[in-house]
Amino acid sequence: MPISKETMRAIIRDYRGIELSDDELDLVRPEVDSYIEAMAGLSGLNLSDVMSSRLLRAAEGGSDDAE
Amino acid sequence: MPNDALLDLTISELAPRIESGEVSPVELTEAALARAERLQPKLNSWITLLPERALERARTAEADILRGGYRGPLHGIPIGIKDNIATAGIRTTVGSLVLSDNVPDEDARVVTLCEEAGAIMMGKENLEEFAAGATSNNPHYGAVHNPWGLDHIPGGSSGGGGANVAAGVTFASLGTDLGGSVRLPATFCGVVGLKQTFGRVSQRGLLVTSFNGDHIGPMTRSVRDSALVLQALAGYDPLDPSTVPVPVPDYLEGLDSDLSGLTAGVPSNYFFDEVDGEVETAVRNAIAALQELGVKVREVGLPSMEYVGALRAASLADGIVTHEPMLRSDREKYGPNVIYRTLAGQFVLGSDYSRAMKVQRLIKEEYARVLQGVDFLVTPTAPVPAPRIDAVDIDVNGETHRVRGPGSGFISRNTSPMNGNGLPAISVPCGFSGDGLPIGVQFVGRPFEEGLLFRVAAGYEDVSPTKGIRPDV
Repeated sequence: MPISKETMRAIIRDYRGIELSDDELDLVRPEVDSYIEAMAGLSGLNLSDVMSSRLLRAAEGGSDDAE
Repeated sequence: MPNDALLDLTISELAPRIESGEVSPVELTEAALARAERLQPKLNSWITLLPERALERARTAEADILRGGYRGPLHGIPIGIKDNIATAGIRTTVGSLVLSDNVPDEDARVVTLCEEAGAIMMGKENLEEFAAGATSNNPHYGAVHNPWGLDHIPGGSSGGGGANVAAGVTFASLGTDLGGSVRLPATFCGVVGLKQTFGRVSQRGLLVTSFNGDHIGPMTRSVRDSALVLQALAGYDPLDPSTVPVPVPDYLEGLDSDLSGLTAGVPSNYFFDEVDGEVETAVRNAIAALQELGVKVREVGLPSMEYVGALRAASLADGIVTHEPMLRSDREKYGPNVIYRTLAGQFVLGSDYSRAMKVQRLIKEEYARVLQGVDFLVTPTAPVPAPRIDAVDIDVNGETHRVRGPGSGFISRNTSPMNGNGLPAISVPCGFSGDGLPIGVQFVGRPFEEGLLFRVAAGYEDVSPTKGIRPDV
């Protein structure tokens, strides 16, 4: 379901986003819709036990500390 | 041979002549600069040309070689550097107005490596604004034009490099590839473009807009030249934690080995689903040519590609974090295509970012499994030949797709998955459209197996119907 302009404005206001006029909200809309559609395509996909894709990085000095 | 004719040779053809003193790096650089200046009004492939610096470096190279200090195959070879790769004391605009006066203090690691190898940097090449798109239709520095059809895009974002290599202005150009930005100019301009394994080449000194998919890679006129350039660039950089300390092999070893006994995987889904008919025919012909060279061909399924669009959530979020300070201070200096794609990133949820990372992992696992059963994959590099510069949308098989700006991404649908999975991929010319525009085939390999990829690409290049055909520009 498309995200409403009201929600977009609220996100910008409440999360210190970068202001957009009404016309500009229309201009970002195709990219936002594309993102929403892609995420909607994941419904039904259980991602709960998928490991992170981030590379492990060993800390200098041989510690097993990783991120 | 007249100096201008030398520009149509490859690095591997020229290198022995430079080493022996038969070809002068100074005369070669003068010829390359003359061609660059002649073609700039047509191609608009440079943002900053550096003739005096290049000639000075060429004189030094020539003197070193005459004294017996030949450094290797890049010594005395004129190259181009994309203008989002830092060059000390030379402005690095990233194709933007925001950074139009940006002069880095240090060279990117790859620039240092090229200069240590003796290459002659001719200048900084034009690109898409902030390297964020596939057209190289830059709103601030002008559109780059394709040498095969001046009304067509060269692909992007490393379009200046693709155009220069194709037109014989440079022998190699370093581009950057976050979604296909080396391989797309390569396919549209009829040259070879390499995106090596993530972690194989340092990104230090590149303005990176997404955290785990950008790569600096070469565009060249032959596969052998691609191997020569990667040889100079590859290796662990202790100051770039994204590089991996894997030994660098000799990429020329085995380059001429025959391909019999290898198995190619041809995806049965996604990569041929939305492809122009002429492109599909050219790539299927390339697959048939591989079979004639002794390669076994097997269909492979990649069902997780159904979810690949989710990776866009991560790159959107990464993009807004990179751009936020500049958007707050210099918003009016952005072009419309980049700013409205970038600003969409502020609406990405953290949980969706995590989902994107998990999908990325699923995709990586699936490719790893598939590449246990085959040696490499074959796909079209781009779904279409180069669109016109003025095209906003293109139609493929009855579907309309945006070429630029918010909601675009169709052109990079076959290249961007390899930025997500980090696998090495190379684009090699394999045919022409009815309009005479180049078409490329993409070979994808296992991590850090660039050597095998070069072997496959070189074997195919030798029988490609495009062999020896250059643009008349």
